[in-house]
Amino acid sequence: MADYTNYTNREMQAITIAKSLTNGQIAIVGTGLPLIGAALAKRIFAPDCILVVESGLMDCAPIEVPRSVGDIRLMAHCAVQCPPVYYMGFQANEWLHGNDRMVAFIGGAQIDPYGNLNSTSIGDYHHPKARFTGSGGANGIATFVNTVIMMQHEKRRFIEKVDYVTSAGWMDGPGGRERAGLPGNRGPIMVVTDKGVMKFDEKSKRMYLAGYYESSSIEEIVENTGFEIDTSKATLIAPPTPEDIKIIREEIDPGQAFIKVPQ
Amino acid sequence: MGKVYQLSEAISKYVKDGDSIAFGGFTTNRKPIAATSEILRQGQKDFVLYTGAGGSEADMLIGAGRVKAFINCYTANSGVTNVCRRFRKAIEKNEILFEDYSQDALLLMLHGAMLGLPYIPIRMMLGTGLIDEWGISEEVRKTVDKLPNKKYVLQDNPFDPGHQIVQLPVPQLDVAVIHVQKASVSGTCIIEGDEFHDVDIAIAAKSTIVTCEELVSDEVIRRDPTVTNIPGFCVQAVVQVPYGAHPSQCYNYYDYDNVFYKHYDQVSKTEEEFDQFIQEWVMGVKDNDEYIDKIGASRLAKLKPVQGLGYAVDMTKMAQEGK
Repeated sequence: MADYTNYTNREMQAITIAKSLTNGQIAIVGTGLPLIGAALAKRIFAPDCILVVESGLMDCAPIEVPRSVGDIRLMAHCAVQCPPVYYMGFQANEWLHGNDRMVAFIGGAQIDPYGNLNSTSIGDYHHPKARFTGSGGANGIATFVNTVIMMQHEKRRFIEKVDYVTSAGWMDGPGGRERAGLPGNRGPIMVVTDKGVMKFDEKSKRMYLAGYYESSSIEEIVENTGFEIDTSKATLIAPPTPEDIKIIREEIDPGQAFIKVPQ
Repeated sequence: MGKVYQLSEAISKYVKDGDSIAFGGFTTNRKPIAATSEILRQGQKDFVLYTGAGGSEADMLIGAGRVKAFINCYTANSGVTNVCRRFRKAIEKNEILFEDYSQDALLLMLHGAMLGLPYIPIRMMLGTGLIDEWGISEEVRKTVDKLPNKKYVLQDNPFDPGHQIVQLPVPQLDVAVIHVQKASVSGTCIIEGDEFHDVDIAIAAKSTIVTCEELVSDEVIRRDPTVTNIPGFCVQAVVQVPYGAHPSQCYNYYDYDNVFYKHYDQVSKTEEEFDQFIQEWVMGVKDNDEYIDKIGASRLAKLKPVQGLGYAVDMTKMAQEGK
């Protein structure tokens, strides 16, 4: 009998994402953990949430975990196949219609206290120390859609100023998005890491610690965050059930493409 | 019958040095890899390259030094290589001109090209590095024939004063290269599964080269116009190239070849090993027939999708596990 109580921080991260989705929400998912979390949400926590991907597939229900948002694994049980430009229309129209149904999962290499994200390059843009893929769909998403940000919680990633803003967060605080010409009623709502959950203060728009895991601690999170973070509202997040862990390991990512099972 | 070519003839007739060239597909799905390899064999260079969400095709052309300017939004063999390595090195070593757009912006530029629009207004990119940083300056843009003169122009929305918009240039494409499931001898195409930006670039480009899994007669392709995507008059060359998207996926025909992608991930880490890979898998094979012979029939057979799912699954293994 396999052990399903030895959950990892990464599994905890996937489950936290899954629990952030509610029925009726339209979730824009990217490759990796967001897809695992969204697949889990559809099985357990929010079976009536709708998954869409930026390559243009609408209302997806994949069985095997796709490796990219263009993977043909997303075609199985998908409701509508659109060209990618339609996806951009859905994204913008949800905002134009004042709907609050959409949420998107994005990630990056660096994040600042206002949730501005870098997935382009480290160091000088023209002579980077490290170059990444670039925006993909993230910039457009961060323009029109509320986001849940996925990060590895490390001091070098949580920094005061990111080297390049690929996806806009709350910019420099209250009114920052409006000043930049971006929709002010959209922005990052949560950061989910392998150590805990951060949210953004309604007034200051600055990140604060909202929750930590049994397997982490407030001290560990402060130590791994490269800027001042308010911890006064932090609460312990309940651990996953063995049933949740079993579904991830046996059904959603049996090949361990994105989540390794501890030996 | 005038449009049906051998791959080498189609590439030599329609792909020239300095062309503004666009490739279809999406990271590891329906990428025209056989056509890319033929371009590498023939030597055309100095491209202004558009790939949408790029993968191996962009990485190989960049790694082989054929790209003058790369218009990037995302370049990865997702799930195996999270940032394509030759693309990454070329930027880190300052070896190519590159420009960054968001994927939405870039695909809308190609969509604008399809519609023949003079430019395209968007609300994205504001407040970010995509506006603050120009990969290619206006001065350098003057020196590259096929590049638009500016990355973008900011403008007050004339229909909604007080709100800023971003005007994007619409590229003039010389060539589009796409791989599809079926095409007829007169160029009518059927794309099965997600079309991505392939129809846009096929309409936008002066010359469109189509490689296809199956070449069918015009009579056959006209049996059901609800499944065709591109009219033949948008297509200049049709080439039958079975497994022409390998190692990427081709819906209803084959899944991605993960073993191959993992090998490419390894060899693309260094210039020396990448060069050896190109020698072995591109220069060292005469054409696509030799390429698929080299991969081998049993390996290709394993990539065959399971009906109803659309992707390859080891059903023997699943049956043994009682699923």
